[in-house]
Formats: sequence, C-alpha cells, structure tokens
Amino acid sequence: MNLMIVSTLPANDPQAQKAVRFLTSKVDCSRVFYTEEMKISPCLGCNACWLKTPGKCALHDDYEQILKGCLQYDAVVLLSGTSFGFIHSAMKNVIDRLLPLATMYICVQDGQIRHVPRYQKDYRFILLYSGKGDEEYLKYWMERFTLNFYGKSLGVFPLEKCEETLQCI
Amino acid sequence: MHLTIISGAARPQSRSNTARIIEAFSEGIHAGGHTTEVWYLSDRRQWGQARSAFEKNENILFALPLYVENIPGLMLEFLEGLSPKEKPGTKMAFLIQGGFPEASQSRCCERFLKTLPQQLNCAHAGTLIRGNMFGVRLLGKKLGGRLVQPFTDMGRLFAEYGEFRPEIVSGFAGPEYLPEKQLRQMGGMGNYIQRWSMRIVARRLGCREKLDAKPYHEVSPVQRKQ
Repeated sequence: MNLMIVSTLPANDPQAQKAVRFLTSKVDCSRVFYTEEMKISPCLGCNACWLKTPGKCALHDDYEQILKGCLQYDAVVLLSGTSFGFIHSAMKNVIDRLLPLATMYICVQDGQIRHVPRYQKDYRFILLYSGKGDEEYLKYWMERFTLNFYGKSLGVFPLEKCEETLQCI
Repeated sequence: MHLTIISGAARPQSRSNTARIIEAFSEGIHAGGHTTEVWYLSDRRQWGQARSAFEKNENILFALPLYVENIPGLMLEFLEGLSPKEKPGTKMAFLIQGGFPEASQSRCCERFLKTLPQQLNCAHAGTLIRGNMFGVRLLGKKLGGRLVQPFTDMGRLFAEYGEFRPEIVSGFAGPEYLPEKQLRQMGGMGNYIQRWSMRIVARRLGCREKLDAKPYHEVSPVQRKQ
C-alpha cells in the first residue's frame, strides 16, 4: 500500500504532524503535500479542462502535482480543517481542481448522469478532519464526491482518531 | 424588500451562467417595485462591499453553481470571513444551478446550505434548485435567454413571499431523477449525438485534441518497496 497525504492544515500543527507520522510509518511508500506551502487557486469553472485543453487545467499552479498523485498512489488521505461543519475552503479548492480527472462526456451510472472518467483508476479517498466537523454530513459528501470520479470513500475520521484509518486502507 | 444578491460563482461576471440567472431573477424582483444589489465574488475587490452588505441587510440571496456536490471553494472562503449576525432577523436564501438535469444532483449541497444560516445567526429562507444550466452562455443570447427566463417568475414570487416556498421550489427543480426511458435514450445514438455536439463546441473554442485525451497517462503508479 502506498499513500498520498494532502494536508491543508499547517505543517506545524501538532495533531496533523502526529497523523502524518503515524500514517507514513504504516505504509510502504508515501508522499505528503502541505498545500500551505503550495499555490492552489480556486477552480474558475471555465471548463477549459473539458473543452479547450482536455485533462489540463487552465490555471498553471501547483494543482498538477496533486492531480498526478491521485493517479500514482493507491489511496489519498485528505487532512483538512473544518468550516460550518464541512471541510475548509482550502481543501474544497483542492477537490474542485480535480475536475480534469473527468471528461466532458456524460454517461448514466446507477440511474444518475455522470461524467465519463478520463483515466481507468480506482480512486480511494479518506478524510481526516480537525475541528467541529459534521461527521454524518462529511461521510455523505465524501460518498457523493468520490462517485463523481468513479472512486470510493474509505471513510471519514476526526484527526485524533487517525489510527482507525488503518482498518480501511 | 431590498435584496442583497451575492454570486458565489468563480467565473468572471461576463462569462458566468450564474450572472445571467441573477439578471433574469432580478428582473422579477424589480417588477414588483423591489430593489436589489449584486456582488460578484469572482472579483475579490468586491468582497469588502459584499461583506458590508451582508452585515447591513436583512434579505440575502447567495446564487451559486454546483461544484463537486457543494458550494465552490471560493464562496466557502468568503463565508469563512463572515461573523454571525449580532441580531436575529436576517433571512438567507440560496439558488443552486447545475449542469446535469436532475434535481437529485444538488441535494447534497442543499443539505449543507440548510445548516448554514443558523451558524451565522440567520434564518433559512429556502433553496431554489435548477439543473440543465450548462449551456446558458454556450448557446448564445437567444437560446441561453430561454433557459434563464423562468428565473424571472421565481424572482417575482420570491419578492412576494420573502422566501422560496417549498411547493414552488419542488416544481421548479424539475425531475429528481430522469425517467428510465430518457436514460436509455442517452445510450447508443444519444451517446453518439452528445459526443458529436460536444466536439463541435470544443472545436469552436479552439480545441484540436480529443475530449477524452489523457495527458497524464504516462504517470506510472508508485512502486511498493520490495
């Protein structure tokens, strides 16, 4: 098992540090991204990644490393703060920028319309959150978000219970 | 009523579907002699005024495109900068527009938005949902105008009731899921037609690549340690 960890929490956050140390010690190979040290702009919704430069975002910032990582690693662990019970905007910006993983083409999946995936990859995501998250809602949203990329949510956990993620990966 | 409308769309106003919808919706509001002010979060220079308008006014509408099952990250960032209102009495309503036709696509976002006003010491004044909005700008002024025209009626009704009434919202949202027959039609010939028409749109936008190109296919999976 190898993991990509994307943290929108500060690199010196003690809880995040503990979680990163724990997770990286339990897998064969891992890579950690701290978005605080990267430039990831919000998605503009320009559709260039679908209709102008298929698969590539029009914004040339550090998003590409994360997008490639989604294709390279077995699972992606998202470490996020929370806002209004949901993930923090910094993490939502990361997720919004994953749109190039889907194509403009549409198909029907389980009775709903979906975009056809661009790559043959079983994406697997885990969310670890700090602060006051609405866990029930976060689980629901993770299920829905991963559905859009034909992926799977492996679970949602408060950061202090990061040990529990091992049951899923 | 004076309504503060805040567009949560990240696309610049001149190319934004949400902006076109806001225009149509505002027409309906104005028809009853009511007034509006609109702020666009795509322009960060407007954030300060949008924040003041939120603090000052009691009728707030956020209009937004659906982004990965929730609000755009940009709008969430703006909301994080707001403080809960000191006095109760402010009503927050929402308008979600999405590309897919089914109302069910927006339910996850709707559920989040239902919890939001309370966290800012406001009351929830309903959420209006509408799908099939992808082509508003792409289809040009005339055809795109037809897509947004129904929002004028919604604006008129919103001004009349001061909120989005559930019975009006449910009728406006369209089908929760598409009927079996329609889904079947999307396969075979329907699939061919949608791919062909999207390729035409892409060509018009200057795209010379395949729409299902895989620019990162050379990225190889990380090897496990031996």
